[in-house]
Amino acid sequence: MNGTARIIAVIPLAWGDEALLETTGAAQQISVDAGCGFDVVLLGGAAQPSEQQRAILAAAGRIQLVAHDMLESGDNLPALATAAARALTAPTEQQLLLVPPGADGEELAALLAAQLDCALLGRCTRAAWDGEAWLIERAVWGGRQTLSLRLTGQRGVASLRLGRAQRGTAEPATLDVLHIQESLPEPLEIEQTRSEQRLAPVQGARLVVSGGRGVNEQGFAQLEELAARLDAALGGSLPAVDAGMVPVARQVGISGHFVSAEVYLAVGISGTPQHLAGISNATCILAVNKDPAADIFKVANVGVVAEWEQLLPALLAQLPG
Amino acid sequence: MNILVLLAGVADNRYPLHEIRLDNGLISESGNSRRVLSPFDEGALELALKLRDQRQDCHVEVLVLGGSNQDNLLRSVAAFKPDRLRCLQLQPCRLWDAALSSEQITAVLSGESLRPDLLLIGREFGDLDEGGLPVMLAARLGLPLFSLTQYVQWQDGKLSLLRERGTCQQWHRPTGPLVASVTNDRRNKLRHPLMKNVMMAKKMSFGSLDAPADNAVSLHPEQLQPAREVQRGGNCRMLEGDVQTQAAALLSYLKRESQA
Repeated sequence: MNGTARIIAVIPLAWGDEALLETTGAAQQISVDAGCGFDVVLLGGAAQPSEQQRAILAAAGRIQLVAHDMLESGDNLPALATAAARALTAPTEQQLLLVPPGADGEELAALLAAQLDCALLGRCTRAAWDGEAWLIERAVWGGRQTLSLRLTGQRGVASLRLGRAQRGTAEPATLDVLHIQESLPEPLEIEQTRSEQRLAPVQGARLVVSGGRGVNEQGFAQLEELAARLDAALGGSLPAVDAGMVPVARQVGISGHFVSAEVYLAVGISGTPQHLAGISNATCILAVNKDPAADIFKVANVGVVAEWEQLLPALLAQLPG
Repeated sequence: MNILVLLAGVADNRYPLHEIRLDNGLISESGNSRRVLSPFDEGALELALKLRDQRQDCHVEVLVLGGSNQDNLLRSVAAFKPDRLRCLQLQPCRLWDAALSSEQITAVLSGESLRPDLLLIGREFGDLDEGGLPVMLAARLGLPLFSLTQYVQWQDGKLSLLRERGTCQQWHRPTGPLVASVTNDRRNKLRHPLMKNVMMAKKMSFGSLDAPADNAVSLHPEQLQPAREVQRGGNCRMLEGDVQTQAAALLSYLKRESQA
Protein backbone atom coordinates (compact mmCIF):
# COMPACT_ATOMS: atom_id res chain seq x y z
CA MET A 1 0.00 0.00 0.00
CA ASN A 2 1.39 3.36 -0.98
CA GLY A 3 -0.03 6.54 0.48
CA THR A 4 1.12 9.03 -2.14
CA ALA A 5 -1.12 8.14 -5.05
CA ARG A 6 -4.76 9.10 -5.46
CA ILE A 7 -7.41 8.79 -8.13
CA ILE A 8 -10.33 11.14 -8.56
CA ALA A 9 -13.04 10.40 -11.12
CA VAL A 10 -14.70 13.57 -12.44
CA ILE A 11 -18.08 12.76 -14.00
CA PRO A 12 -20.86 15.01 -15.33
CA LEU A 13 -24.12 13.42 -14.17
CA ALA A 14 -25.95 14.52 -17.32
CA TRP A 15 -23.70 12.28 -19.42
CA GLY A 16 -25.65 9.29 -18.16
CA ASP A 17 -25.04 5.92 -16.57
CA GLU A 18 -22.67 4.78 -19.32
CA ALA A 19 -20.20 7.59 -18.49
CA LEU A 20 -20.61 6.79 -14.81
CA LEU A 21 -19.99 3.08 -15.35
CA GLU A 22 -16.99 3.56 -17.67
CA THR A 23 -15.20 6.18 -15.56
CA THR A 24 -15.83 4.41 -12.28
CA GLY A 25 -14.79 1.13 -13.91
CA ALA A 26 -11.42 2.61 -14.88
CA ALA A 27 -10.97 4.17 -11.43
CA GLN A 28 -11.83 0.89 -9.71
CA GLN A 29 -9.45 -1.18 -11.79
CA ILE A 30 -6.50 1.20 -11.60
CA SER A 31 -6.95 1.80 -7.88
CA VAL A 32 -6.93 -1.92 -7.10
CA ASP A 33 -3.70 -2.43 -9.06
CA ALA A 34 -2.14 0.71 -7.55
CA GLY A 35 -3.20 -0.12 -4.00
CA CYS A 36 -4.80 3.28 -3.49
CA GLY A 37 -8.38 4.42 -3.14
CA PHE A 38 -10.44 6.62 -5.39
CA ASP A 39 -12.87 9.47 -4.92
CA VAL A 40 -15.62 10.72 -7.20
CA VAL A 41 -16.56 14.29 -8.09
CA LEU A 42 -19.98 14.45 -9.74
CA LEU A 43 -20.97 17.56 -11.67
CA GLY A 44 -24.65 18.37 -11.88
CA GLY A 45 -27.56 20.62 -11.06
CA ALA A 46 -29.97 20.48 -8.17
CA ALA A 47 -30.89 16.81 -8.65
CA GLN A 48 -28.93 14.28 -6.62
CA PRO A 49 -27.73 10.98 -8.11
CA SER A 50 -30.29 8.18 -8.08
CA GLU A 51 -30.00 5.12 -5.83
CA GLN A 52 -28.94 3.13 -8.89
CA GLN A 53 -26.18 5.62 -9.65
CA ARG A 54 -25.06 5.65 -6.02
CA ALA A 55 -24.74 1.84 -6.20
CA ILE A 56 -22.27 2.18 -9.09
CA LEU A 57 -20.15 4.41 -6.86
CA ALA A 58 -20.13 2.01 -3.90
CA ALA A 59 -16.36 1.45 -4.04
CA ALA A 60 -15.52 5.17 -3.90
CA GLY A 61 -13.96 6.55 -0.73
CA ARG A 62 -15.62 9.94 -1.00
CA ILE A 63 -18.39 11.21 -3.25
CA GLN A 64 -18.88 14.90 -3.83
CA LEU A 65 -21.60 16.52 -5.90
CA VAL A 66 -20.60 19.89 -7.32
CA ALA A 67 -23.87 21.64 -8.03
CA HIS A 68 -24.75 24.63 -10.20
CA ASP A 69 -27.71 25.29 -12.50
CA MET A 70 -25.38 25.63 -15.49
CA LEU A 71 -24.08 22.08 -15.00
CA GLU A 72 -27.52 20.52 -15.33
CA SER A 73 -27.47 19.91 -19.10
CA GLY A 74 -23.86 18.71 -19.22
CA ASP A 75 -23.17 20.33 -22.60
CA ASN A 76 -21.29 23.43 -21.41
CA LEU A 77 -17.81 21.94 -21.17
CA PRO A 78 -15.99 25.12 -20.02
CA ALA A 79 -18.50 25.45 -17.16
CA LEU A 80 -18.01 21.79 -16.18
CA ALA A 81 -14.22 22.21 -16.15
CA THR A 82 -14.38 25.45 -14.18
CA ALA A 83 -16.71 23.97 -11.57
CA ALA A 84 -14.58 20.83 -11.20
CA ALA A 85 -11.42 22.89 -10.81
CA ARG A 86 -13.04 24.93 -8.03
CA ALA A 87 -13.93 21.76 -6.15
CA LEU A 88 -10.52 20.15 -6.40
CA THR A 89 -8.22 21.27 -3.63
CA ALA A 90 -4.43 21.36 -3.89
CA PRO A 91 -3.18 17.76 -3.96
CA THR A 92 -1.09 16.26 -1.21
CA GLU A 93 -0.56 13.08 -3.26
CA GLN A 94 0.17 12.61 -6.94
CA GLN A 95 -3.35 12.76 -8.38
CA LEU A 96 -4.69 10.95 -11.40
CA LEU A 97 -7.90 12.67 -12.50
CA LEU A 98 -10.13 10.49 -14.67
CA VAL A 99 -12.89 11.80 -16.93
CA PRO A 100 -15.33 9.78 -19.08
CA PRO A 101 -13.87 8.36 -22.30
CA GLY A 102 -15.02 9.72 -25.66
CA ALA A 103 -14.69 12.99 -27.58
CA ASP A 104 -16.51 15.15 -25.01
CA GLY A 105 -14.55 13.56 -22.16
CA GLU A 106 -11.27 14.25 -23.92
CA GLU A 107 -12.23 17.88 -24.43
CA LEU A 108 -13.25 18.13 -20.78
CA ALA A 109 -9.88 16.62 -19.78
CA ALA A 110 -7.99 19.29 -21.74
CA LEU A 111 -10.12 22.11 -20.32
CA LEU A 112 -9.63 20.78 -16.80
CA ALA A 113 -5.87 20.48 -17.31
CA ALA A 114 -5.82 24.11 -18.52
CA GLN A 115 -7.88 25.22 -15.50
CA LEU A 116 -5.66 23.37 -13.03
CA ASP A 117 -2.44 24.17 -14.94
CA CYS A 118 -1.44 20.53 -14.80
CA ALA A 119 -0.44 17.79 -17.27
CA LEU A 120 -2.87 16.46 -19.82
CA LEU A 121 -2.35 12.72 -20.04
CA GLY A 122 -5.07 12.41 -22.67
CA ARG A 123 -6.58 9.27 -24.10
CA CYS A 124 -4.59 6.53 -22.41
CA THR A 125 -4.55 2.81 -23.00
CA ARG A 126 -3.04 2.02 -19.60
CA ALA A 127 -2.32 3.74 -16.28
CA ALA A 128 -0.34 2.29 -13.40
CA TRP A 129 1.38 3.42 -10.22
CA ASP A 130 5.00 2.28 -9.93
CA GLY A 131 5.44 3.23 -6.27
CA GLU A 132 6.75 6.71 -7.09
CA ALA A 133 4.72 8.11 -9.96
CA TRP A 134 1.87 7.47 -12.37
CA LEU A 135 2.93 5.80 -15.60
CA ILE A 136 0.63 5.94 -18.58
CA GLU A 137 0.64 4.55 -22.11
CA ARG A 138 -0.73 6.23 -25.19
CA ALA A 139 -1.15 5.13 -28.79
CA VAL A 140 0.85 7.43 -31.09
CA TRP A 141 1.64 7.63 -34.81
CA GLY A 142 -1.88 6.53 -35.70
CA GLY A 143 -1.78 3.57 -33.34
CA ARG A 144 1.45 2.21 -34.82
CA GLN A 145 3.58 2.98 -31.74
CA THR A 146 3.00 3.06 -27.99
CA LEU A 147 4.51 5.84 -25.89
CA SER A 148 5.00 5.35 -22.15
CA LEU A 149 5.05 8.54 -20.10
CA ARG A 150 5.89 9.26 -16.46
CA LEU A 151 3.96 11.98 -14.69
CA THR A 152 6.45 14.14 -12.84
CA GLY A 153 4.03 16.89 -11.83
CA GLN A 154 1.45 16.72 -9.03
CA ARG A 155 -1.57 16.10 -11.24
CA GLY A 156 -2.56 14.68 -14.59
CA VAL A 157 -5.93 14.36 -16.33
CA ALA A 158 -6.69 11.24 -18.36
CA SER A 159 -9.47 9.22 -19.93
CA LEU A 160 -9.31 5.44 -20.19
CA ARG A 161 -11.61 2.71 -21.36
CA LEU A 162 -11.08 -0.33 -19.14
CA GLY A 163 -14.58 -1.73 -18.88
CA ARG A 164 -17.59 -0.97 -16.74
CA ALA A 165 -17.70 -0.73 -12.96
CA GLN A 166 -19.13 -3.60 -10.98
CA ARG A 167 -22.19 -2.47 -9.05
CA GLY A 168 -21.29 -2.74 -5.39
CA THR A 169 -23.33 -4.17 -2.57
CA ALA A 170 -21.60 -2.11 0.13
CA GLU A 171 -23.19 1.05 1.46
CA PRO A 172 -21.95 3.97 -0.69
CA ALA A 173 -20.03 6.80 0.98
CA THR A 174 -21.97 9.81 2.17
CA LEU A 175 -22.67 12.38 -0.52
CA ASP A 176 -21.14 15.80 0.12
CA VAL A 177 -22.72 18.61 -1.84
CA LEU A 178 -20.79 21.70 -2.85
CA HIS A 179 -22.99 24.48 -4.25
CA ILE A 180 -21.00 26.71 -6.56
CA GLN A 181 -22.11 30.30 -5.99
CA GLU A 182 -19.82 32.04 -8.47
CA SER A 183 -20.74 32.50 -12.10
CA LEU A 184 -19.51 29.96 -14.62
CA PRO A 185 -18.56 30.48 -18.30
CA GLU A 186 -21.52 31.01 -20.60
CA PRO A 187 -22.03 28.38 -23.33
CA LEU A 188 -21.38 29.18 -26.99
CA GLU A 189 -24.46 30.37 -28.82
CA ILE A 190 -25.46 27.45 -31.00
CA GLU A 191 -28.30 27.18 -33.48
CA GLN A 192 -29.34 23.57 -33.78
CA THR A 193 -31.28 21.97 -36.62
CA ARG A 194 -32.02 18.41 -37.67
CA SER A 195 -29.53 17.04 -40.16
CA GLU A 196 -30.44 14.89 -43.15
CA GLN A 197 -29.37 11.78 -41.23
CA ARG A 198 -32.34 9.42 -41.03
CA LEU A 199 -30.56 6.74 -39.00
CA ALA A 200 -29.76 6.66 -35.31
CA PRO A 201 -26.24 7.64 -34.19
CA VAL A 202 -23.68 4.85 -33.64
CA GLN A 203 -23.32 5.67 -29.95
CA GLY A 204 -25.61 3.44 -27.95
CA ALA A 205 -26.78 1.40 -30.99
CA ARG A 206 -27.26 -2.34 -30.47
CA LEU A 207 -26.58 -3.09 -34.12
CA VAL A 208 -24.10 -1.18 -36.31
CA VAL A 209 -23.66 -1.65 -40.06
CA SER A 210 -20.34 -0.17 -41.11
CA GLY A 211 -18.28 0.30 -44.27
CA GLY A 212 -14.65 0.98 -45.04
CA ARG A 213 -12.22 1.98 -47.74
CA GLY A 214 -13.28 -0.98 -49.88
CA VAL A 215 -16.86 0.30 -50.32
CA ASN A 216 -17.86 3.06 -52.75
CA GLU A 217 -20.79 5.49 -52.80
CA GLN A 218 -23.19 2.90 -54.24
CA GLY A 219 -22.12 0.43 -51.57
CA PHE A 220 -22.74 2.96 -48.80
CA ALA A 221 -26.20 3.62 -50.19
CA GLN A 222 -26.87 -0.13 -49.90
CA LEU A 223 -25.40 -0.21 -46.38
CA GLU A 224 -27.67 2.68 -45.40
CA GLU A 225 -30.69 0.84 -46.78
CA LEU A 226 -29.66 -2.30 -44.93
CA ALA A 227 -29.25 -0.32 -41.71
CA ALA A 228 -32.71 1.24 -42.17
CA ARG A 229 -34.37 -2.14 -42.69
CA LEU A 230 -32.61 -3.61 -39.65
CA ASP A 231 -33.24 -0.54 -37.49
CA ALA A 232 -29.47 -0.32 -37.11
CA ALA A 233 -26.99 2.56 -37.04
CA LEU A 234 -24.69 3.27 -40.00
CA GLY A 235 -20.98 3.67 -39.30
CA GLY A 236 -17.74 4.01 -41.22
CA SER A 237 -13.99 3.81 -40.86
CA LEU A 238 -11.64 6.82 -41.09
CA PRO A 239 -10.74 6.16 -44.77
CA ALA A 240 -14.44 6.03 -45.63
CA VAL A 241 -14.97 9.36 -43.86
CA ASP A 242 -11.92 10.83 -45.63
CA ALA A 243 -13.37 9.71 -48.95
CA GLY A 244 -16.63 11.51 -48.13
CA MET A 245 -18.66 8.28 -48.08
CA VAL A 246 -20.02 8.76 -44.57
CA PRO A 247 -20.15 11.81 -42.25
CA VAL A 248 -17.54 12.16 -39.54
CA ALA A 249 -20.30 11.99 -36.92
CA ARG A 250 -20.57 8.30 -37.85
CA GLN A 251 -16.86 7.51 -37.71
CA VAL A 252 -15.93 4.50 -35.59
CA GLY A 253 -12.38 4.15 -34.32
CA ILE A 254 -9.72 5.69 -32.16
CA SER A 255 -10.37 9.19 -33.50
CA GLY A 256 -14.10 8.60 -33.91
CA HIS A 257 -16.77 7.01 -31.76
CA PHE A 258 -16.51 3.98 -29.53
CA VAL A 259 -19.33 1.51 -30.06
CA SER A 260 -20.40 -1.21 -27.70
CA ALA A 261 -23.06 -2.71 -29.95
CA GLU A 262 -24.14 -6.33 -29.66
CA VAL A 263 -23.32 -6.89 -33.34
CA TYR A 264 -21.02 -4.92 -35.67
CA LEU A 265 -21.20 -5.72 -39.38
CA ALA A 266 -17.91 -4.60 -40.96
CA VAL A 267 -18.00 -4.47 -44.76
CA GLY A 268 -14.83 -3.69 -46.72
CA ILE A 269 -12.99 -2.84 -43.51
CA SER A 270 -9.44 -4.16 -43.28
CA GLY A 271 -9.29 -4.21 -39.46
CA THR A 272 -6.58 -1.73 -38.49
CA PRO A 273 -5.83 -1.36 -34.76
CA GLN A 274 -7.09 2.25 -35.02
CA HIS A 275 -10.52 1.07 -36.19
CA LEU A 276 -10.75 -1.88 -33.79
CA ALA A 277 -9.98 0.46 -30.88
CA GLY A 278 -13.45 1.90 -31.45
CA ILE A 279 -15.27 -1.42 -31.00
CA SER A 280 -15.98 -2.97 -27.61
CA ASN A 281 -14.31 -6.31 -26.89
CA ALA A 282 -17.75 -7.65 -26.01
CA THR A 283 -19.15 -6.85 -29.47
CA CYS A 284 -19.69 -9.67 -31.94
CA ILE A 285 -18.00 -8.68 -35.23
CA LEU A 286 -19.37 -9.98 -38.53
CA ALA A 287 -16.81 -9.27 -41.25
CA VAL A 288 -17.25 -9.15 -45.02
CA ASN A 289 -14.11 -8.70 -47.10
CA LYS A 290 -12.97 -9.93 -50.48
CA ASP A 291 -9.43 -10.50 -49.17
CA PRO A 292 -9.25 -13.76 -47.18
CA ALA A 293 -6.01 -12.53 -45.57
CA ALA A 294 -7.59 -9.28 -44.25
CA ASP A 295 -6.71 -8.60 -40.60
CA ILE A 296 -10.38 -8.18 -39.73
CA PHE A 297 -10.83 -11.97 -39.93
CA LYS A 298 -8.26 -12.38 -37.11
CA VAL A 299 -10.61 -10.63 -34.70
CA ALA A 300 -14.07 -11.25 -36.16
CA ASN A 301 -16.50 -13.83 -34.79
CA VAL A 302 -18.06 -14.57 -38.16
CA GLY A 303 -16.46 -13.99 -41.57
CA VAL A 304 -17.54 -13.94 -45.18
CA VAL A 305 -15.05 -13.78 -48.05
CA ALA A 306 -17.07 -12.05 -50.75
CA GLU A 307 -17.29 -8.97 -52.93
CA TRP A 308 -19.68 -6.46 -51.38
CA GLU A 309 -21.10 -5.83 -54.86
CA GLN A 310 -22.60 -9.34 -54.75
CA LEU A 311 -23.24 -9.77 -51.03
CA LEU A 312 -25.05 -6.51 -50.19
CA PRO A 313 -27.71 -6.91 -52.93
CA ALA A 314 -28.19 -10.52 -51.78
CA LEU A 315 -28.70 -9.35 -48.19
CA LEU A 316 -31.20 -6.70 -49.28
CA ALA A 317 -33.07 -9.15 -51.50
CA GLN A 318 -33.55 -11.50 -48.55
CA LEU A 319 -34.62 -8.66 -46.26
CA PRO A 320 -37.62 -6.94 -47.85
CA GLY A 321 -38.18 -3.31 -46.89
CA MET B 1 -10.38 39.27 -41.36
CA ASN B 2 -7.13 37.71 -40.18
CA ILE B 3 -7.10 33.92 -40.32
CA LEU B 4 -4.26 31.95 -38.78
CA VAL B 5 -3.88 28.28 -39.68
CA LEU B 6 -1.68 25.97 -37.61
CA LEU B 7 -0.55 22.81 -39.39
CA ALA B 8 1.43 19.93 -37.90
CA GLY B 9 1.58 17.11 -40.48
CA VAL B 10 1.64 13.38 -39.78
CA ALA B 11 3.63 10.41 -41.04
CA ASP B 12 2.15 9.24 -44.33
CA ASN B 13 0.21 6.09 -43.38
CA ARG B 14 0.54 4.67 -46.88
CA TYR B 15 4.15 3.81 -46.06
CA PRO B 16 5.88 1.90 -43.26
CA LEU B 17 6.76 4.14 -40.35
CA HIS B 18 10.24 5.66 -40.56
CA GLU B 19 12.77 5.08 -37.79
CA ILE B 20 11.77 6.86 -34.58
CA ARG B 21 13.42 6.61 -31.18
CA LEU B 22 13.66 8.41 -27.89
CA ASP B 23 16.83 10.38 -27.40
CA ASN B 24 17.40 12.14 -24.11
CA GLY B 25 13.73 12.87 -23.51
CA LEU B 26 13.00 13.94 -27.08
CA ILE B 27 11.82 12.20 -30.23
CA SER B 28 14.52 11.55 -32.80
CA GLU B 29 13.32 10.79 -36.34
CA SER B 30 15.33 9.45 -39.26
CA GLY B 31 15.86 11.57 -42.35
CA ASN B 32 13.51 9.52 -44.53
CA SER B 33 10.35 10.68 -42.78
CA ARG B 34 7.39 11.22 -45.11
CA ARG B 35 5.49 13.86 -43.13
CA VAL B 36 2.41 15.06 -44.99
CA LEU B 37 -0.66 17.10 -44.06
CA SER B 38 -3.20 15.05 -42.10
CA PRO B 39 -6.88 15.03 -43.17
CA PHE B 40 -7.51 17.40 -40.25
CA ASP B 41 -4.69 19.75 -41.35
CA GLU B 42 -6.05 19.69 -44.89
CA GLY B 43 -9.52 20.54 -43.65
CA ALA B 44 -8.22 23.52 -41.68
CA LEU B 45 -6.26 24.85 -44.67
CA GLU B 46 -9.13 24.33 -47.11
CA LEU B 47 -11.62 26.16 -44.89
CA ALA B 48 -9.24 29.13 -44.67
CA LEU B 49 -8.84 29.16 -48.46
CA LYS B 50 -12.63 28.89 -48.95
CA LEU B 51 -13.19 31.93 -46.75
CA ARG B 52 -10.52 33.91 -48.64
CA ASP B 53 -12.03 32.91 -51.99
CA GLN B 54 -15.25 34.64 -51.00
CA ARG B 55 -13.90 37.82 -49.44
CA GLN B 56 -10.94 39.85 -50.54
CA ASP B 57 -10.27 41.30 -47.09
CA CYS B 58 -9.27 37.87 -45.73
CA HIS B 59 -5.61 37.50 -44.88
CA VAL B 60 -4.48 33.90 -44.44
CA GLU B 61 -1.31 33.28 -42.48
CA VAL B 62 -0.07 29.72 -42.01
CA LEU B 63 2.39 28.32 -39.49
CA VAL B 64 3.73 24.84 -40.27
CA LEU B 65 5.31 22.85 -37.49
CA GLY B 66 9.05 22.35 -37.99
CA GLY B 67 10.76 18.99 -37.75
CA SER B 68 11.35 16.09 -40.06
CA ASN B 69 10.67 16.70 -43.75
CA GLN B 70 9.78 20.32 -42.98
CA ASP B 71 10.94 21.81 -46.30
CA ASN B 72 8.73 19.52 -48.37
CA LEU B 73 5.78 20.14 -46.07
CA LEU B 74 6.27 23.92 -46.27
CA ARG B 75 6.50 23.78 -50.06
CA SER B 76 3.33 21.70 -50.30
CA VAL B 77 1.51 24.41 -48.31
CA ALA B 78 3.18 27.28 -50.20
CA ALA B 79 1.62 25.94 -53.42
CA PHE B 80 -1.78 27.08 -52.09
CA LYS B 81 -0.44 30.65 -51.87
CA PRO B 82 -1.26 31.68 -48.31
CA ASP B 83 -0.61 35.38 -47.69
CA ARG B 84 2.17 34.50 -45.27
CA LEU B 85 3.82 31.18 -44.45
CA ARG B 86 6.39 30.46 -41.78
CA CYS B 87 7.84 27.48 -39.98
CA LEU B 88 6.99 27.09 -36.30
CA GLN B 89 9.90 25.66 -34.33
CA LEU B 90 8.89 24.34 -30.90
CA GLN B 91 12.06 24.25 -28.81
CA PRO B 92 11.92 21.69 -27.36
CA CYS B 93 9.27 19.85 -29.38
CA ARG B 94 7.35 17.63 -26.92
CA LEU B 95 4.04 17.28 -28.66
CA TRP B 96 2.88 14.52 -26.27
CA ASP B 97 2.69 17.28 -23.66
CA ALA B 98 -0.23 19.45 -24.80
CA ALA B 99 0.10 21.71 -21.76
CA LEU B 100 3.70 22.59 -22.64
CA SER B 101 3.17 22.84 -26.42
CA SER B 102 0.09 25.04 -26.09
CA GLU B 103 2.01 27.31 -23.73
CA GLN B 104 4.86 27.61 -26.25
CA ILE B 105 2.49 28.46 -29.10
CA THR B 106 0.57 30.96 -26.97
CA ALA B 107 3.81 32.71 -26.04
CA VAL B 108 5.02 32.94 -29.62
CA LEU B 109 1.68 34.26 -30.91
CA SER B 110 1.67 36.84 -28.18
CA GLY B 111 5.30 37.82 -28.85
CA GLU B 112 4.58 38.25 -32.56
CA SER B 113 1.39 40.19 -31.81
CA LEU B 114 -0.53 37.66 -33.87
CA ARG B 115 -4.16 38.20 -32.92
CA PRO B 116 -6.20 36.33 -35.48
CA ASP B 117 -9.95 36.75 -35.78
CA LEU B 118 -10.12 33.05 -36.56
CA LEU B 119 -7.53 30.43 -35.65
CA LEU B 120 -8.00 27.17 -37.54
CA ILE B 121 -6.23 24.03 -36.37
CA GLY B 122 -6.79 20.32 -37.07
CA ARG B 123 -8.63 18.45 -34.32
CA GLU B 124 -5.36 16.59 -33.62
CA PHE B 125 -2.03 18.40 -33.93
CA GLY B 126 0.35 15.83 -35.37
CA ASP B 127 1.09 12.20 -34.57
CA LEU B 128 1.56 12.67 -30.83
CA ASP B 129 -1.50 14.75 -30.01
CA GLU B 130 -4.93 13.23 -29.39
CA GLY B 131 -6.89 16.42 -29.59
CA GLY B 132 -5.81 18.05 -26.35
CA LEU B 133 -3.57 20.72 -27.85
CA PRO B 134 -6.24 22.71 -29.74
CA VAL B 135 -8.43 22.76 -26.62
CA MET B 136 -5.62 23.85 -24.32
CA LEU B 137 -4.41 26.42 -26.85
CA ALA B 138 -7.87 28.05 -26.98
CA ALA B 139 -8.00 28.06 -23.17
CA ARG B 140 -4.53 29.62 -22.86
CA LEU B 141 -5.37 32.24 -25.49
CA GLY B 142 -8.56 33.01 -23.57
CA LEU B 143 -10.63 32.40 -26.70
CA PRO B 144 -13.79 30.34 -27.14
CA LEU B 145 -13.41 27.04 -28.98
CA PHE B 146 -15.75 25.58 -31.57
CA SER B 147 -14.57 22.01 -31.76
CA LEU B 148 -14.86 19.47 -34.59
CA THR B 149 -15.77 22.09 -37.20
CA GLN B 150 -16.74 20.59 -40.54
CA TYR B 151 -17.57 23.63 -42.64
CA VAL B 152 -17.46 27.42 -42.58
CA GLN B 153 -19.13 30.00 -44.75
CA TRP B 154 -19.98 33.67 -44.94
CA GLN B 155 -23.64 34.27 -44.22
CA ASP B 156 -24.99 37.82 -44.47
CA GLY B 157 -21.42 39.04 -44.17
CA LYS B 158 -20.83 37.11 -40.98
CA LEU B 159 -18.83 34.00 -40.29
CA SER B 160 -20.83 30.83 -39.73
CA LEU B 161 -19.34 27.51 -38.61
CA LEU B 162 -20.97 24.08 -38.82
CA ARG B 163 -20.53 20.78 -37.05
CA GLU B 164 -22.74 17.71 -36.78
CA ARG B 165 -23.59 15.99 -33.52
CA GLY B 166 -25.59 12.79 -33.78
CA THR B 167 -28.54 13.62 -36.00
CA CYS B 168 -28.26 17.40 -35.46
CA GLN B 169 -26.46 20.21 -37.24
CA GLN B 170 -25.00 22.90 -34.99
CA TRP B 171 -24.22 26.36 -36.36
CA HIS B 172 -22.16 28.96 -34.50
CA ARG B 173 -21.84 32.59 -35.54
CA PRO B 174 -18.97 34.07 -33.52
CA THR B 175 -19.12 37.65 -32.34
CA GLY B 176 -15.40 37.85 -31.60
CA PRO B 177 -12.11 36.00 -32.11
CA LEU B 178 -12.47 32.23 -32.09
CA VAL B 179 -10.42 29.04 -32.22
CA ALA B 180 -11.97 26.34 -34.42
CA SER B 181 -10.62 22.81 -34.44
CA VAL B 182 -11.37 21.16 -37.75
CA THR B 183 -12.30 17.58 -38.49
CA ASN B 184 -12.41 15.84 -41.85
CA ASP B 185 -15.50 16.20 -43.97
CA ARG B 186 -16.36 15.88 -47.65
CA ARG B 187 -16.96 19.66 -47.72
CA ASN B 188 -13.43 20.51 -46.62
CA LYS B 189 -11.36 18.21 -48.78
CA LEU B 190 -8.24 20.10 -49.83
CA ARG B 191 -8.24 21.37 -53.41
CA HIS B 192 -5.39 20.62 -55.80
CA PRO B 193 -2.87 23.42 -56.22
CA LEU B 194 -2.14 24.92 -59.63
CA MET B 195 0.96 23.38 -61.21
CA LYS B 196 2.55 26.81 -61.75
CA ASN B 197 2.21 27.47 -58.01
CA VAL B 198 3.74 24.08 -57.19
CA MET B 199 6.72 24.96 -59.36
CA MET B 200 7.05 28.41 -57.76
CA ALA B 201 6.91 26.88 -54.29
CA LYS B 202 9.91 24.70 -55.09
CA LYS B 203 12.08 27.79 -55.33
CA MET B 204 10.84 29.51 -52.19
CA SER B 205 12.57 29.86 -48.85
CA PHE B 206 10.72 30.30 -45.59
CA GLY B 207 11.22 32.22 -42.37
CA SER B 208 10.73 30.62 -39.01
CA LEU B 209 9.30 31.43 -35.62
CA ASP B 210 11.00 30.00 -32.55
CA ALA B 211 8.84 28.94 -29.62
CA PRO B 212 11.11 28.22 -26.66
CA ALA B 213 10.14 26.80 -23.27
CA ASP B 214 11.82 26.48 -19.94
CA ASN B 215 13.04 23.09 -18.81
CA ALA B 216 10.10 22.24 -16.55
CA VAL B 217 8.90 18.79 -17.59
CA SER B 218 5.69 17.31 -16.23
CA LEU B 219 5.49 14.36 -18.61
CA HIS B 220 8.69 12.43 -19.14
CA PRO B 221 8.84 9.88 -21.98
CA GLU B 222 10.03 6.50 -20.70
CA GLN B 223 9.66 4.18 -23.64
CA LEU B 224 8.59 4.14 -27.29
CA GLN B 225 7.81 0.80 -28.85
CA PRO B 226 5.74 -0.72 -31.66
CA ALA B 227 2.09 -1.11 -30.73
CA ARG B 228 1.03 -4.49 -29.40
CA GLU B 229 -1.24 -6.59 -31.58
CA VAL B 230 -4.94 -6.26 -30.86
CA GLN B 231 -5.93 -8.97 -28.38
CA ARG B 232 -9.45 -10.03 -29.23
CA GLY B 233 -9.34 -13.58 -30.54
CA GLY B 234 -12.64 -13.74 -32.40
CA ASN B 235 -12.08 -17.38 -33.47
CA CYS B 236 -13.65 -16.42 -36.74
CA ARG B 237 -16.19 -18.84 -38.13
CA MET B 238 -16.05 -18.52 -41.92
CA LEU B 239 -19.36 -18.83 -43.76
CA GLU B 240 -19.02 -21.08 -46.79
CA GLY B 241 -21.24 -21.65 -49.81
CA ASP B 242 -22.45 -19.36 -52.59
CA VAL B 243 -23.30 -15.73 -51.97
CA GLN B 244 -27.01 -16.46 -51.38
CA THR B 245 -26.16 -19.03 -48.70
CA GLN B 246 -23.65 -16.66 -47.09
CA ALA B 247 -26.19 -13.82 -47.12
CA ALA B 248 -28.85 -16.01 -45.49
CA ALA B 249 -26.49 -17.11 -42.71
CA LEU B 250 -25.31 -13.55 -42.11
CA LEU B 251 -28.89 -12.28 -41.99
CA SER B 252 -29.77 -14.77 -39.30
CA TYR B 253 -27.16 -13.16 -37.02
CA LEU B 254 -28.30 -9.64 -37.89
CA LYS B 255 -32.03 -10.36 -37.55
CA ARG B 256 -31.55 -12.06 -34.21
CA GLU B 257 -30.06 -8.86 -32.87
CA SER B 258 -32.45 -6.47 -34.59
CA GLN B 259 -35.43 -8.36 -33.17
CA ALA B 260 -33.92 -8.70 -29.67
